[in-house]
Amino acid sequence: MRREVFTFIVGGKAGQGVRKAGTVASQLFLEMGRNSFQMDDYPSLIKGGHNFSVVSTSTDEVTSQHMKADLVVALDSKSYEIHRNHLKENGTMACDSAVKEEGVISLPISSEAKKYPNRELISGLSSIAILAATIGMEKEELVDLIKKQYKREVENNVSYASTIYDAAYQEIGGKFSLEKGKSKGVLLTGNEAIALGAAAGGLDIYFAYPMTPSTSILHYLARHSEDLGIVAVHPENEIAVAQMATGATFAGAKAMVASSGGGFSLMQETFSLAGMSEAPVLFVLGSRPGPSTGVPTYTEQGDLKYSIRQGQGEFPRIVSSPGTVEEAFYLASEMLELVWKFQTPGVLLTEKHMEEGRKNVDLDVSKAKWAEPLLHKKGEFKRYLDTSDGMSPLLFPPSEELIKWNSYEHDELGITTEEPEKIVGMHNKRIKKHEALVKHMKSIHTVNVFGNKGPAIFTYGSTTMSVLEALRHGNIDATVVQPRYVEPLPVWELERYKDKKCIVVEQSSIGQFASLLKENVGIKAQKVIKKYDGRPFDPIELAEEIKEVV
Amino acid sequence: MDDLTTYAVNTWCPGCGNFGILNAFKKAVRKLEEKGIKRNSIMISAGIGCHAKIFDYLRLSGFYSIHGRSMATVQGIKLANPDLKVVAFAGDGDALGEGISHMIFAAKRNADITVIVHDNGVYGLTTGQYTPTSEKGFKSPSTPKGNVEEPLNPLTLMLEAGATFVARGYSGKIGLLADTIAQAIEHEGFSYVNVLQPCVSFNNTYKRYNELIEILEKTPESYEDAMAVARRKEKLPIGVIYRIDKPVYHKELYGKFNPVANRLSKKEKRNKVAKLARPKKVEK
Repeated sequence: MRREVFTFIVGGKAGQGVRKAGTVASQLFLEMGRNSFQMDDYPSLIKGGHNFSVVSTSTDEVTSQHMKADLVVALDSKSYEIHRNHLKENGTMACDSAVKEEGVISLPISSEAKKYPNRELISGLSSIAILAATIGMEKEELVDLIKKQYKREVENNVSYASTIYDAAYQEIGGKFSLEKGKSKGVLLTGNEAIALGAAAGGLDIYFAYPMTPSTSILHYLARHSEDLGIVAVHPENEIAVAQMATGATFAGAKAMVASSGGGFSLMQETFSLAGMSEAPVLFVLGSRPGPSTGVPTYTEQGDLKYSIRQGQGEFPRIVSSPGTVEEAFYLASEMLELVWKFQTPGVLLTEKHMEEGRKNVDLDVSKAKWAEPLLHKKGEFKRYLDTSDGMSPLLFPPSEELIKWNSYEHDELGITTEEPEKIVGMHNKRIKKHEALVKHMKSIHTVNVFGNKGPAIFTYGSTTMSVLEALRHGNIDATVVQPRYVEPLPVWELERYKDKKCIVVEQSSIGQFASLLKENVGIKAQKVIKKYDGRPFDPIELAEEIKEVV
Repeated sequence: MDDLTTYAVNTWCPGCGNFGILNAFKKAVRKLEEKGIKRNSIMISAGIGCHAKIFDYLRLSGFYSIHGRSMATVQGIKLANPDLKVVAFAGDGDALGEGISHMIFAAKRNADITVIVHDNGVYGLTTGQYTPTSEKGFKSPSTPKGNVEEPLNPLTLMLEAGATFVARGYSGKIGLLADTIAQAIEHEGFSYVNVLQPCVSFNNTYKRYNELIEILEKTPESYEDAMAVARRKEKLPIGVIYRIDKPVYHKELYGKFNPVANRLSKKEKRNKVAKLARPKKVEK
């Protein structure tokens, strides 16, 4: 039986509340017990342009937007032009009456909106009214939804939505019947999941400078600062961000920072400082198409090798990449635990598609990890005490003991040294930490495997969601192998696939992930499916590409 | 070796102005101890350069940072645990070149930190290049025909940026410098001490400073008067030039909270997360 996926697209100008409409649609589906995945596409501007939100929903699991829609609501003529090709065969295109095209449902979206003071913003609400009408929602249910989701100027909103609902109902009322499902949970973006995961792992303080696509972590933690007991700080630049976080860990605070590639470049010297001084700082790197400023509001996986080679010099580092929004939550807490356990910097590598993608998730907060430093008990304290596994117990100020962290090569007390045997000793201490880290990783869950038939498909990060959706959509048998960690790369887990037929799927123009697997594991991919136009994979197209290889 | 000194071998040149700053700082710590401020609550940081070796020599806890960043490092320490006193040592290249953005913003937000700049007008450890405070015409390996830039005046810059405590010291006047540093650390808010310091190897200014230094009788009462004192060139007044009480950054940000001392327990934190990450009860 073919699984049912219903897709809703709303398109319009920036300032018309397009993303909000997508989010309310997701909420509406969640209240029906249905799963959903929402992808927001927007250019780097504040007013005008073309924004759209795609929400795909199913009673079955759904982990990606589909670019063939059952219902498209075009708030302006540009949206009609762009999305006319995104319609399923029996799909409905509902447009503002200004669009004079055949076969579309013409509705007074803008002419009715003009009657209200916030004519631009309110027009996005029409898409919710149209959606409600086409799926046969009662008007009372729609009014209830608006009262909860569009609280500002609620009377106007109810009045406008009712007019549009009536007009739409006459033409296409109840055209689609959506089954109710049993899903529960909440809607979260990847960034919200990361923020909450870090909080569940014990985060005390967060530093960030705004940069798409990681900005909303800052917004979320600043907004919920008191709810979560976490201080959110927005300093002058990313250098200060990384430095302050590093200083905060010296005082014993669990600290996290986030940026995208450009801001992350500014943090490199501090990343290396964290490696040398053994500061447990968690860095979130949210990729967008590069190089340089690149394409700020779109997605790519071009920072994989960059993320695992941060900072000058040789020191252990941990880099992980979540494959789903749920995993973003758990992995953020796990990374906080690990950077504190091994007293070394870590990178949570993710992408715009994950960070701003919104999905319903059902989380078990008790399954999050918790960062717990190894503490010095008694006697003389040496910050860099050379132990059998390289990890020195910690002590935080104020203390009668001397606590010195150092960016220079240092002795066990933390005093600068240039003596050859001490240089070797500290290098070896850091190597021991790396070895202890690898040993620890062999005891934890480092690779996700989905399915057990067909060829092996290697992927990572948010592309995992695209691959899983493509397989479901195309009814394809495959074994999806997704490392949750890329540094240290869990070679011991990946080696078993070496002799299998392998495909790699990633959002990179040169195939960095495929090359990482080849260099470290000896996996030679029969085909590397790449996409680097800034847009996430469409599972419908990806399914076709995979089928060609299979 | 006194109880504020470590076993690190001192490698400053004989006659270096840094010795004066080191001794003044130790005196300042003792003065503060007399007032009940414990030495183990004073955290130090430093940038990179000759000045920064003070980190190794002082038997005080802290974080030896990187070039131009000690002012940011200590703000992180302060924000994490506001009960600590934090002091950033920096060179003139550190504070006014590489890390000038941190200086301006720390002053602007009135971060409750103390910055002590060892201002010798030269990059000593990298063999004598001009710095942001070198005089115009200063000949150095990177400016063999003489520096073509005018020097920055760090005092007026910090006053303009919003510093609530601005002072100038001289490494040759240890008693006064100790007193100034103690006041700076006691001050609640951003305190800046610009210490004039000769570099015997690359910019020996002892003679010049001994002629130009003038002890400031009393701290000017207005911002305008402080600016006028800071601008003086024919004489170089030393002492506290400006002091004002203003709300400090961490208290403006989170009141009386202390992120490490008032941290929620695991259970409390998890409950808070669950409120946001779990579905709300359905309203009937």
